[in-house]
Amino acid sequence: MDNTSQRRLPHAIRRKLQRTPRKKWHPIIHHVRKRYRISRRTIFYLKEYGPKSHIAHLIIKESVYILILASIMSSMGGIGLQSIQTSIITILPLLVMLPALTDMIGDFGTIVSSRFATMLYLGQVGRKNWWHSRYMHKLFGIVVGVALIAAIYLGTVATWIAVARGFAVDAVLFMKIIEIAIAATVMLIGLMFFLSVVGGFYIFSKKEDPNNFLIPITTSVADLGSLIVFSTLVTLLF
Amino acid sequence: MAKMRLPTLCFKDFFEILTSELISVTGGLLAGTMLAFATNQIELVPGLLILLPGFLEMRGNISGTLSARLGSGLWIGVLKPQLRRSRILRGNVIADIFLALIVSLMLGLVAYFASAWVFGIDNPALIYISLIAGVLSNIIEIPATVLTTFWLFRHGHDPDNIMGPYVTTIGDIISIVALLAAIVIVM
Repeated sequence: MDNTSQRRLPHAIRRKLQRTPRKKWHPIIHHVRKRYRISRRTIFYLKEYGPKSHIAHLIIKESVYILILASIMSSMGGIGLQSIQTSIITILPLLVMLPALTDMIGDFGTIVSSRFATMLYLGQVGRKNWWHSRYMHKLFGIVVGVALIAAIYLGTVATWIAVARGFAVDAVLFMKIIEIAIAATVMLIGLMFFLSVVGGFYIFSKKEDPNNFLIPITTSVADLGSLIVFSTLVTLLF
Repeated sequence: MAKMRLPTLCFKDFFEILTSELISVTGGLLAGTMLAFATNQIELVPGLLILLPGFLEMRGNISGTLSARLGSGLWIGVLKPQLRRSRILRGNVIADIFLALIVSLMLGLVAYFASAWVFGIDNPALIYISLIAGVLSNIIEIPATVLTTFWLFRHGHDPDNIMGPYVTTIGDIISIVALLAAIVIVM
């Protein structure tokens, strides 16, 4: 029997599988998975978006609440921005670097949480001595190093764009822009590590996949946090 | 890979992350430059800055998940990288159109009520701007996401590795253009 015919489900089993309610893990599914060597994730995808699912309805139902929650959180950050509208519009480099800053911190949130989740799976960090793990040192060093370079690049290019647009920049203003970029990035990366470690150990101890929880949590906190920290620093420095 | 020493891995990871981050930051700066050229429009619409972060995030969230779902379907083999009639592709696109409309409306309402309560600005135009910008950005970004995911898969790349930064960077630029166009239409 060749590989293709071995993987084709007999009619009777396929009918049984199709009759199984979409949300239930019937024993027949485990049988099919083992007998025909189909991965759990493939079975999950086929059940989720199978012939009996209304795909659009299912996606909307599962996504809409988290998207609305993310929108509300971002709008809360937007309130902070609105309160410093005058500074943002009059000091052009701040406006130029705003979208890139929030994106960058969100990216670091994803990197830190996904790497930490992998470390947990590979047993490279333990709950008691996580700070002594050389993999943790490596991740921290890489992320902080890249973040510092990216923050300086961000502040410098944003200032250069503002100057090209005709905005007058002196050395003090330039240093303040760089300070805001570096301080916001470093503070929020610290927060990302804290959330990933605390949340990662907790979720892992509950036998759940930390990836599914940590990434949405860290990116949402990064987005909201970057706007709050940015607004606070602008209020303090200008 | 297993025989590589930790310092070697450190440098490899460092340069991979640094390169992707600098590209992502450059895209964000491009979006910021567009904002800098539109300071008059921003001042014209009080409360627009409340709407802005949520609107920028929305495109990344919706198109990022679209691309991830399509990527999984492509790898599993239930979806072909072609724009033929496919139940899964049609369902995903319809879902994304509705999600973008719902979230745009929600963002507009939140921005309107937040600007009214916190800053005392009564500006219903925020709701129309959010909805129109949501529709405009969808028209560009959904086909761009689907076509790029299929193109990457056809050329032997894993869309999951590339589409995340691509969607957030392109999403920022498209969202800002759509917002500015919506301001011109509404005001």
